[in-house]
Amino acid sequence: MINSVEKQYLEGEHTSYKVVLDDGKILLVPHNEENRHYQEILEWVENGGVIVDNGA
Amino acid sequence: MAITRLGPNQDITAAKIAGTINFKNLIINGDMSIAQRGTSVTGVTTTDGYYTCDRWRSQTDIGTWTISQSTDVPTGQGFANSFKMDCTSAGTSNADEVSIRQYIEGQFLQQLAYGTSSAKSITISFWIKSNKTGDYTFSIKNVNSSQERLLGFNYTIDSANTWEKKTFTFSGDTSTSIENTNSAEFELYWWFSAASALRTGTVSNTWQNYSAGNHAISTLAGLGGSTDDEVYLTGVQLEADTSASDFEFIPYDVNLQRCQRYYQIFGSTAPTSCNMTNGMAYSANSSEVFCPTILPVVMRTGPSVTQNGTIAYRTPGGTTNVTLNSTAVSEKEVFMNFSGSFTSGDPGYIRNPDGSSSNYLEVDAEL
Repeated sequence: MINSVEKQYLEGEHTSYKVVLDDGKILLVPHNEENRHYQEILEWVENGGVIVDNGA
Repeated sequence: MAITRLGPNQDITAAKIAGTINFKNLIINGDMSIAQRGTSVTGVTTTDGYYTCDRWRSQTDIGTWTISQSTDVPTGQGFANSFKMDCTSAGTSNADEVSIRQYIEGQFLQQLAYGTSSAKSITISFWIKSNKTGDYTFSIKNVNSSQERLLGFNYTIDSANTWEKKTFTFSGDTSTSIENTNSAEFELYWWFSAASALRTGTVSNTWQNYSAGNHAISTLAGLGGSTDDEVYLTGVQLEADTSASDFEFIPYDVNLQRCQRYYQIFGSTAPTSCNMTNGMAYSANSSEVFCPTILPVVMRTGPSVTQNGTIAYRTPGGTTNVTLNSTAVSEKEVFMNFSGSFTSGDPGYIRNPDGSSSNYLEVDAEL
């Protein structure tokens, strides 16, 4: 289960999300609808999750 | 293997090419021989996902389970491994879902010509063993975005703790196509427990419009209600044919590469100073290291990346532990950014600092 999601930037460009799961595991997930973890982020947002964006 | 020489006027026949591999099995890792994630995971509860055997997904919404790559196999069939689910803390059977699944990309299924008058029959075959006899269901869902379809077959495990082979042939679906994508278009389910909402209808042997209640038989035996409950599965084959043929064994290395389309591990325990990735790295400034890596096998899509354990950046000046901070990926390449404290401009490489098997990077593009 997703605990938190934060936008990550690489050389100023948003390229991935840092996802922290309930068990502490961290995934770097691409902004890609074919990726199952990105699909889980979308579902998490639909259910009220908020993506943190601290900028580049 | 003996070589048969054909004369200029001799036909190539099935008998003459017996033993060749034609990748007829639409299932990947059907012999459960590949387990990149490890051979056993304990304490699995409601988190569905991929544990041990590559490509095999489990759902355990009842109780607590140990999931493992087992060496318990049907005798004399050539298998070395099976996928095992063992209930270690009981819940209420059939209160929720316990299943094994495999998802198949649509682009691998176009040969079935679904949605046309030439739609081909498919045959599923597998070996299964459980402590609990009774009724079970295997089902396939075509997740076509216009109209989902479902079929399945019910089978009985007749003898407790005994390997049994089950097969069934389904006619092709002439009305609904399989979408040509790299996403999951066929979802295969082996049902061991299911909530009543999934068992209110009738399991159809022919393709029908999807209805959740038709997923499993109403009298499903139900695993997960006792710590005695366990199930083993191996020798899974889905082929475009009207009968089951012998399981098609493919070489271990080929099987591994097919699995790496969906999941790869960067990491090695020996030698301890070895490069974890296939690219060099460089410190762009005093706090960031960039590491571009070409993936050894092109993946299904851009993968997620996870750091496990301790990873280090080795330069001529020494070794510094790093933390994976961000990525930019495609199906062919992973560009990783690690944070830490560095001398700007130092070239180096990403390594396992102490040789521990707990230190590795996971690259995941599973369905």
